[in-house]
Amino acid sequence: MIGILLARIRLFIRKPLTFVIFTGMSIGFALVLGGSGGPAAVHVPLYAEDQEVQDSFIGNALVENETYSFDWTSKAELEERITNGKAEAGAILTNDGYRLIIGVDSPNAALIENTLSDLYRKKHQEEEIMAASGRENQADQEKLLNELRLSQESPVFTISNSHFRGTNTWMYDSTFQTLFGFTLFFVIYTIAYNVLPILIEKKDGIWYRIILSPVKKWEMYTANLLYTFFEGYLQVVIIFLIFRYWVGVDFNGRFIEALLFVIPYVFAIVAMSIFLTALVKTTQQFNAVIPILAISMAMIGGAYWPIEIVESEFLLALSKINPLTYGMEILNGIAVYGFQIDELLFPISILVIMGVVMMGLGIHLMEKRHV
Amino acid sequence: MLELINLSKKFKQVHAVENLNMFIEKGEIIGLLGPNGAGKSTAISMLSSLLEPSSGDVKFNGKSILKNPAPLRDMVGMVPQDIALYSDLTAEENLQFFGRIYNIKGVELKRKIDEVLKLIGLTDRRKDVVKKYSGGMKRRLNIGVALLHEPEFLIMDEPTVGIDPQSRNYILETVKRLNREKQITILYTSHYMEEVEFLCDRIYIMDQGNLIASGTKDEIKSILSAEKVISIKADNMNDAFIGSLKENPLVNRVVVSEKEVTIMAGKEVNIFSPLIKMAEDSQLDLHSLDIKTPTLEDVFLHLTGRALRD
Repeated sequence: MIGILLARIRLFIRKPLTFVIFTGMSIGFALVLGGSGGPAAVHVPLYAEDQEVQDSFIGNALVENETYSFDWTSKAELEERITNGKAEAGAILTNDGYRLIIGVDSPNAALIENTLSDLYRKKHQEEEIMAASGRENQADQEKLLNELRLSQESPVFTISNSHFRGTNTWMYDSTFQTLFGFTLFFVIYTIAYNVLPILIEKKDGIWYRIILSPVKKWEMYTANLLYTFFEGYLQVVIIFLIFRYWVGVDFNGRFIEALLFVIPYVFAIVAMSIFLTALVKTTQQFNAVIPILAISMAMIGGAYWPIEIVESEFLLALSKINPLTYGMEILNGIAVYGFQIDELLFPISILVIMGVVMMGLGIHLMEKRHV
Repeated sequence: MLELINLSKKFKQVHAVENLNMFIEKGEIIGLLGPNGAGKSTAISMLSSLLEPSSGDVKFNGKSILKNPAPLRDMVGMVPQDIALYSDLTAEENLQFFGRIYNIKGVELKRKIDEVLKLIGLTDRRKDVVKKYSGGMKRRLNIGVALLHEPEFLIMDEPTVGIDPQSRNYILETVKRLNREKQITILYTSHYMEEVEFLCDRIYIMDQGNLIASGTKDEIKSILSAEKVISIKADNMNDAFIGSLKENPLVNRVVVSEKEVTIMAGKEVNIFSPLIKMAEDSQLDLHSLDIKTPTLEDVFLHLTGRALRD
């Protein structure tokens, strides 16, 4: 068994291209389509008619804003950027208020306005409190202002909000959607093309040579499937590591769980590949079937788009026998919905059952049809 | 050593092998001859325990291998018809892999690899990946892999298919040497009768799943003792001449190739006068008339009415 594993590793080192291509494609597609190369910041040009505004807490708060990138600029440049479509919106700030200039009608305009109005409301609130306090001394005023801000940062009591989410509601995160979707999609190819050598070795006679050796048949299957599993899993681990530590995707703080609970999916795909290998007669048939199957699985399994937007009852029924559906359910459950382990047990169990059934049937058929 | 008893294999409605009886003694080189599709590879798969027969038995040293193939598998080396090698690995890596699966390790594995590479003449190319080899080199390595664990019984399924004459001669000499120097028992299948004639002590001839003749070379050729084989060559071989040959009651068999026709006729029959007359009537420019010593090809022709390579 060790000999077979060593040979597979040696062959992998000599020809790593398939693995590299599918890993690269997963990362590339997820980065490009999911925008995970760090969200593209929306730049908002600002012009301060009164210099005081720029130095005030409003100016500081805008510069530190994490959602939008507010850039101080001249009035002419602001107008030019909006006219040329380089900025969706811009704002001219005064001591008393602001003027929002909208170039492109988008949801961002409303959110920018919210941000600005919140800050000015706070400013006016502070000014009114100062006026009501009757303190005229500059030092007293500053002391009061500090106390006020401190009390706002550490309130006497806090109000927390929670939302009920019905069973029909769903959440969408384009980064996770594309990252998980393309990872689970492309790993099908890597795994399938690693099971294919069994068919090739049978055709070439290598398989029969090994049968005649002291190596047991179960060792032959175990070595090949173990290797296939690890190469597929390695691909998933590499992609997730890159997104976690290079791109900076947080996985909802549950990176290790995402890595662990994707294992049943990889196992199910290995089993599906062996089942498919047993059904086809030639490598040409296998090569023809794999893309059709993988793309169909991705389409109805929620890899390309969220399964929740599919309305066809037939497609939804088909998705129930698709391992990719459950793989997405597990990963989205961890990273997007924040499901606990007991809520993930159902898709995990389905994948394990699928894996065991397809593996058993696949090996049985292969034995019956080929040797 | 090995005995096949009424061995049959049926795939759906097709009888690939029917009631095959064979025996192989230790130290022999046995030839299994037959055209493509005769059932040779199916027979080999069954006798090597890779394929379960539909009926019959295979006994190795008196014990059936159907339920317990281990004793045979320990002793057998298989050279399949296809190049059963990892084409992306080097010759040395292939040998290492196949050595390891036979639990040969370390210094012993290295020694055996060196020995095999020397035997098959690939020592200088041991570090080259197999896909860069010529057809003949691949065939030699295909044989080398089967020798690594020093089998007592070697099964070679058409090991010279598709290679140049020089490589073929090298392989044939190697097979002879293995039998002579290492006393390896060899079952050699081929549809090249000259290879089997050169190598084998005894021969089995198969056609359409059936055994149609067996014995030593001389015994098989004696099947044709009552007939003579005549080769007729002409530059303008025509249908009229061939037609008159086929209709002539003195001619038992007619096999036509491009510029040559081979016929069989009774040994006592004077066929030459009628032949010359038929050639004149058909306006054939006779080139030569040769009486040949019967070959295995002629025996096959006699038994089946078809040439071995049809």
